[in-house]
Amino acid sequence: MNIIEVTNLSHRFSDGTIGIEGITLSIQEGEFVVIAGRNGSGKTTFLRHLNGLLLPDTGAVRLGGVSVSRDIPRARQMVGMVFQDADSQIVGETVFDDVAFGPENLCLNECEVKRRVIKSLEVVDLIDIADQRPHLLSGGEKRRLAVAGILAMEPRILVFDEPFSDLDYPGVRQLLHQTLLLHKAGHTILIATHDLEKVIAHADRLLIISDGKVVMDNAPEMIIKDVEAFGVREPCASRLGMEIESWLN
Amino acid sequence: MAELTAFHFRPGTSLLHTLDVRFKILSFVLISISSFKAYPSALSVLTLVIFYAILISCLPFKSILKELRYFFVLLVFIFIVRAMFTSASPVVDFKESAVAWQGIYDGALICWRLLIVVLFGLIFVSTTRPSDIRTAVEWFLMPFPFIPGKRVATMMSLIMRFVPLILDQARETIDAQRSRGVENRKNPVYRLIKLIIPLMIRTFKKADKLAVAMEARCYSEKRTNKALLSAKSDWITLFGVICLSILLSIIDT
Ligand SMILES: Nc1ncnc2c1ncn2[C@@H]1O[C@H](COP(=O)(O)OP(=O)(O)O)[C@@H](O)[C@H]1O
Ligand SMILES: [Mg+2]
Repeated sequence: MNIIEVTNLSHRFSDGTIGIEGITLSIQEGEFVVIAGRNGSGKTTFLRHLNGLLLPDTGAVRLGGVSVSRDIPRARQMVGMVFQDADSQIVGETVFDDVAFGPENLCLNECEVKRRVIKSLEVVDLIDIADQRPHLLSGGEKRRLAVAGILAMEPRILVFDEPFSDLDYPGVRQLLHQTLLLHKAGHTILIATHDLEKVIAHADRLLIISDGKVVMDNAPEMIIKDVEAFGVREPCASRLGMEIESWLN
Repeated sequence: MAELTAFHFRPGTSLLHTLDVRFKILSFVLISISSFKAYPSALSVLTLVIFYAILISCLPFKSILKELRYFFVLLVFIFIVRAMFTSASPVVDFKESAVAWQGIYDGALICWRLLIVVLFGLIFVSTTRPSDIRTAVEWFLMPFPFIPGKRVATMMSLIMRFVPLILDQARETIDAQRSRGVENRKNPVYRLIKLIIPLMIRTFKKADKLAVAMEARCYSEKRTNKALLSAKSDWITLFGVICLSILLSIIDT
């Protein structure tokens, strides 16, 4: 079943810049998709259409058959989005409060909010510091807190915008590990990045965006040799003709 | 910037942690009012109350006092200014020492009062979850139909969240400018402007990103309402505090 259907999606910013142009694609439930492209190619712009943060000029995005612009709250609940700058997406004064922010917005009752917060913090392994103040956390912990914040809304689709930027090696591994667990648990995963190395070993599908258009869309091993034309570095192992290994090994 | 962050919640299970926030706020206000017009005898009683509160709250007070060290510098400063200012009034020579004593007494009194209010504030903040304070603010604003309580509460919590971020940002900007030799410019106005403008731009950008992130998490003013429950112990505490305030105002007259 297609959980995301995008038809002829275009967006032009008010200053005339073309963000994305004529994107048509569909994503199946449970897929692990990596979206790559050079800076300014339109990855963020595309992702922000999935939960109605940006609305299309032409075309439409449908989630499970329902258009995003027809029911934006539903789209935001269904698509959890982790932004590039972990610092500026933390709202609460404590780790617990921050995770509770989403469920509270959904007007769930207090018990349910608490249950979801505890469950999400357990998933990202932050339950022991639930009363800590967020700005004292490390970069990796902040990113995981952001993930917990969206997990508490129980989304079916998880969208990560450049999740690995400014994370150290253990931070990358831990986030990757948890992302894979979430994928195994049935979530559909979309990751935007310009650095394929860290994540491509786990992807089912690779999309290359260039100048706002999808220029390649295939299984990673089919197109990995050709990505450098679009400002994305081919992973080392692939250059050397070897199989790409996971960062977790 | 740890100095400015001594005021934060510290989890625990003491009686003070479990009291209803609304009662804690009322008690805090009452005690602050009484200590602002208190004299030594009443202040001594309040000091004892503080010791008792510290004991039952199980807070790590040694480390808290260390975090408050800049506040003590401020107190000393206030004390000196106060003592000198009072003795500077024109008096006849032989009376000078008496007036100086008056200044020292005044200064000590003010510092004592300030210290008591700050310590009570610290105990209050340390034993109360920020989200509970927010809920209580909403509750107190409910009777005023023209004040959007929910919005005020959200703004409050965002400010608390943003202050450390802005401070960090400021330090980063200062360091970056220092490493490019801004100290060679002697004009303080120039340096201030060069600091404030980039700081403001970065803060607004952060605020913008935060707004988008909040939107992505379905922010609206219709949210889960937290229930505040008062128990017998809350009423007893409030009653005790009211008695204490009356007692304090009697002692000094
Ligand atoms: N708010 C905006 N106003 C105008 N132009 C924008 C805005 N946001 C992004 N752009 C432009 O749209 C293009 C795509 O940007 P973006 O989607 O952020 O790229 P990516 O995330 O792939 O780096 C860029 O050329 C960028 O300059
Ligand atoms: Mg981007």
